[in-house]
Amino acid sequence: MAKQKTVLIIEDDKSLSHALADILCPKFSILEAESGEKGVELALSKHPNLILLDLLLPKMDGMTAFKEIRKDPWGKDVPVIILTNVNATDVKLVENMVTNKPLFYLVKVDWKIHDVAKKIEDVLKI
Amino acid sequence: MKLRNKILLLGLMLIFFCQAKVALAQVDTTNAGFVAKVAPGELMPISVKLSNFGAGRRVDVEIKYAILTEASEEIYVSRDTMAVETTANFVKTVQVPFDTIPGIYIAKTTISYEGQQVPVSTQFPFTVERKILGLFQDDFLRYAGVIIFFCILMFSLGRLFVKRRNTTRFAPVDYSNIPRQNRIFYELISDTVMGMRQRVGDAALDIASRTNGLVIDEKTGRVLKFTESPSKVVAQLVSGYEKVLGQKTSFFFRKT
Repeated sequence: MAKQKTVLIIEDDKSLSHALADILCPKFSILEAESGEKGVELALSKHPNLILLDLLLPKMDGMTAFKEIRKDPWGKDVPVIILTNVNATDVKLVENMVTNKPLFYLVKVDWKIHDVAKKIEDVLKI
Repeated sequence: MKLRNKILLLGLMLIFFCQAKVALAQVDTTNAGFVAKVAPGELMPISVKLSNFGAGRRVDVEIKYAILTEASEEIYVSRDTMAVETTANFVKTVQVPFDTIPGIYIAKTTISYEGQQVPVSTQFPFTVERKILGLFQDDFLRYAGVIIFFCILMFSLGRLFVKRRNTTRFAPVDYSNIPRQNRIFYELISDTVMGMRQRVGDAALDIASRTNGLVIDEKTGRVLKFTESPSKVVAQLVSGYEKVLGQKTSFFFRKT
């Protein structure tokens, strides 16, 4: 039997994180982190197959965490989906986004939780 | 209701070849096999021809019109009396009772006159059928079927057309001719404009064309060039969509 793929959810909103985990857990192994710092630590140690990343996080913000992950040889190609409330109206944010290239930059208000889960499944080809 | 429109119902032709002497009376009908259709409560015209009556003198003829069920039960009867000298042609209208149950009926006409020795009658079958919106039920169902078929056909063709149009209209634009380091911005902005166009229509193109530093084809949405920092253009475009349309912007990065 093939090893279950792992999804790391870096999200400080516990209710959202748990809801996503509930939807995804039958198909994937789920890791959860509530801060950018913890997210980077889990990413670099567990090497998940996909990372779902919020931008507004305590201790280390999401974009900084994203850069840290991309710096690692393993992390430079890992698929990352940004799921945030931040609309990309800031030039610096756009530059960082283009430099680090997430698969998707999804604004939470426009996306239902099941659609986000479907996107993850599509990326991981389940 | 015009009698000409009831041409299907002009069924009965009584031809009485009667001579002055009763013993020579003859009957002929020419409507055999002709089936008409009426709705309950409608008038049904019956064309009547009487001929060869009398020899210069009038004969009083009583005409009985009846509508019979297939089991020969009378559901309608009326009588007229008229004086016929030699011939008479007229159209008699009888009203089919409102409570007539749909089915096949017989319109039977019988004449009697003084000194008659042989019963003279003629008849023809007709159908009673309900009407829906002025059309006979059968016709209504037939037309409704045809209309539904064409509606489904038009709906399917319409959907196919819209799908095809959207496929071409919102298809990702190819920017392989753009140098690699700048291509990501062309693709990002182009896909963002197309995505927003799908959501809000051509207003997305208008806003994109008014964005500082961005030059696009106003018909197709193809990004032609940047005259400012591409990152700044992206931020301004996203800001424009939020301010004017109240829409947040998500991004999709193409695989390289």
